[in-house]
Amino acid sequence: MVAGDLDGRIFDAVNKVLLGVFMVIILVPLWNVIISSSSSGRALAEGGFIFWPKEFSLENYRAVFNDSSIGQSFLVSVAKTFIGVITHVFFCAMIGYGLSKQYIRGRKLYVAMGVITMFFSGGMIPTYLLIKSLGLLNTFWVYIIPALFSYYDVVILMNFFRNVPDSLEESAKIDGAGDWHIFLKIFIPLSMPAMATIALFNGVGQWNDFMTTKLYVTNQALYPLQMKLYEIIVQSQTQSMQNIGGSVVIETTTKGVQLATIVITTLPIVAMYPLLQRYFISGMMVGAVKE
Amino acid sequence: MTGNKVPGHKAVKLMLLLLAAMLVVAGCGSGGGSKQASEVSIEDRYTPDPETPAWQLDKKSETTELTWYVNADWWNTDFGKDVVTKKIKEDLNVNIKFITGDDTKLNTFFAGGDMPDLLTIFDSNSPVVQKAATWAQPLNKLAEQYDPYFTKVAAADTLNWFQSQDGNTYGYPNYSNTQADYDSGNIPAKTAFVIRKDVYEALGSPDFATPEAFRKTMSEIKSKFPDMIPFGFNAVGEGTGSLGDVLQDFLGVPLETEDGKFYNRNLDEDYLTWLRTLNAVYRDGAISDDSFADDGTGFEEKVKSGKYATMLLDGTPQQGGNLQIFMSANPGKEYMAVDGPHSTVGHQPTLNQSGITGWMISYITKDCKDPAKAIQIFTYLLSEEGQKLMNYGIEGETYKTNADGTVELLPEVKDLQLNNADKFKKDYRMGEFMFFGHDRHKALSKDAFPEAIKQMQEWGKGKLKPHFILENTNPDQGTPEARGLTAINTNWNTTLVSMIRAKDDATFDSVLAEHKAFLDKNNWDKIAEVRSEKMKANKAKLGIQ
Repeated sequence: MVAGDLDGRIFDAVNKVLLGVFMVIILVPLWNVIISSSSSGRALAEGGFIFWPKEFSLENYRAVFNDSSIGQSFLVSVAKTFIGVITHVFFCAMIGYGLSKQYIRGRKLYVAMGVITMFFSGGMIPTYLLIKSLGLLNTFWVYIIPALFSYYDVVILMNFFRNVPDSLEESAKIDGAGDWHIFLKIFIPLSMPAMATIALFNGVGQWNDFMTTKLYVTNQALYPLQMKLYEIIVQSQTQSMQNIGGSVVIETTTKGVQLATIVITTLPIVAMYPLLQRYFISGMMVGAVKE
Repeated sequence: MTGNKVPGHKAVKLMLLLLAAMLVVAGCGSGGGSKQASEVSIEDRYTPDPETPAWQLDKKSETTELTWYVNADWWNTDFGKDVVTKKIKEDLNVNIKFITGDDTKLNTFFAGGDMPDLLTIFDSNSPVVQKAATWAQPLNKLAEQYDPYFTKVAAADTLNWFQSQDGNTYGYPNYSNTQADYDSGNIPAKTAFVIRKDVYEALGSPDFATPEAFRKTMSEIKSKFPDMIPFGFNAVGEGTGSLGDVLQDFLGVPLETEDGKFYNRNLDEDYLTWLRTLNAVYRDGAISDDSFADDGTGFEEKVKSGKYATMLLDGTPQQGGNLQIFMSANPGKEYMAVDGPHSTVGHQPTLNQSGITGWMISYITKDCKDPAKAIQIFTYLLSEEGQKLMNYGIEGETYKTNADGTVELLPEVKDLQLNNADKFKKDYRMGEFMFFGHDRHKALSKDAFPEAIKQMQEWGKGKLKPHFILENTNPDQGTPEARGLTAINTNWNTTLVSMIRAKDDATFDSVLAEHKAFLDKNNWDKIAEVRSEKMKANKAKLGIQ
């Protein structure tokens, strides 16, 4: 027993050391990004690794926030992520629930069709034509409707729903519950870990996506944060290309603006993780059924 | 078990049916084919007059709304808010909605069939340009129909250069320099061999002209200024930085063979002698390995902080801001142009500048809602008035004209330019709305270029030589020759870097030999033939024998 205890303690200690090192490896570059983004352009230009700001300056952030439409873009981003995630998860859950039932007619066909879409896609130009003929160009809904369905997520949910014991559904039916009731009141609450995972995946995807905007949206009022910041970065890169005689009092460097952008775009989504974390702790099903 | 298989078969059948249905539906979609240009009636608006720009005659009272696609993400899409575009908006009674994007977006535009009214792209060699006849309107015909004054402001040489086989010219470029522009001496050089003034003085005005002197001076710099990188050059990336064409131009490597055929300048002996020198300099430790790995930003940051003692610099105006930052922070240490590497066989430098192909090229599409207004915009921006507006704003409001015809920004505008670049950009946007920009007008003012590069431009006087005959001579995209050339260019890039970094002469030679073998394997002869043909066509267009 003593030997076992010692074994366990050594295992724990090695684990802690390894994880600690791993954590440092991840945190140091992140810290460097944060510090570099709040350094002056001059300090950054001199280069070298920095752990503390050499010359503290919020010029990079000012350059990013200088754009008055950034607030609007932030709202667009939040709205598209929020609405997008909720509709996506709900929509995928509905389909996944349906497909998890063996008695659904044509189930195999649907599954087969879904699998095909995982291997083949129409490609960019056919997709553009489709979006165009659906009248989605330059509308907010181009962020939501094409993103509603992901077969990959459906498969995950479908498998999760399958693991819910049939007896739960049967007992609910005996009590007089309908399909909607069973889906909303039993399956959804029981599947929170899966839903949260998909919500997080999809949320990060929605938050970071700017390709949709690049391809389908030309109205600046519909630009999400990512697209706006993408513009700011390319503009800061090409500032020197447009040689305006003599005007050189630019306190920022391209790198600085990029770093500030990274911090600004990453913070909100990082802040979401702790909120969703509790759903990842599974084991909710335990004790629901006695067999 | 068979019971299970049956629905499988059914599913397959159903899917086939579905696929067939999809194909039928897709087939019913509208077919392609070139479009007819839209025409507008200008009868009740104005009668075209060869002596007056049409925008001054046009009585159209409602504002024309046009969309203008610019194939660059960085383009500032504001219109009508700053001095320059506000004036354009007022004078032409036009409202432009800019759309920006990259090649992906351009492709979707073409595929989707919803073309903007005006379109600007950057690569005159791209397939889009080659097919311009199917989607753009010929400028010569538009001018004839709506605005004959256009031919007065457009350069005949440039129109001729872009004339396609059907005899029409579809697009007009900016920064297109003709032989006349070169001859006028108004085009400043954009390349220079520069050295930090303090280094130059400390070494007692050293010499860089011969390979031996170059190597010796670099070693001296390395021992006396250990914190600096003795020799720098533009970021290599996937090209050659400034060690390819630019160095060749410094050495005056011939542009063509004696009988007027394509000449592989990369294998010129004079040039290879200098590459051997650079290899020796590298082995002396006077070229940093970072220089090969740095991207554009990395290079710029080194320029800004004065890390290089000397540089073979391409694009001095583009580096103007960085050079100025260093100069302002380090008075007396600024970079200055000196005579750099010289030909070992007595050639004179033949520095290059923007050629006749220019940079961005603008089109009026067949979908244009009001082609009359669109060609008016071209005429307006190309005219003396438009050019000055773009570069210097409005006379009396932002600039004044001196007695000798030169232009000077008013003090408060100048002050803003120097001390509040962001506000200057936002409120004035001078030199930025450059669809039809031209070096000729930049030469009008001392304010057009940063102080830091003026000496470099002065140094380049008389050393420029047009490279027109080599422009657009790459094989057409999609041909085997084009693919071969892409492979060769990539190979040359790594070869060049490997040669400079070679650890001894034998390695240098073997890398070079490998490249020569690579040329043979990739049909170099055919590529050279295509290029010779195209050079011949270029000469015909330019009227050279």
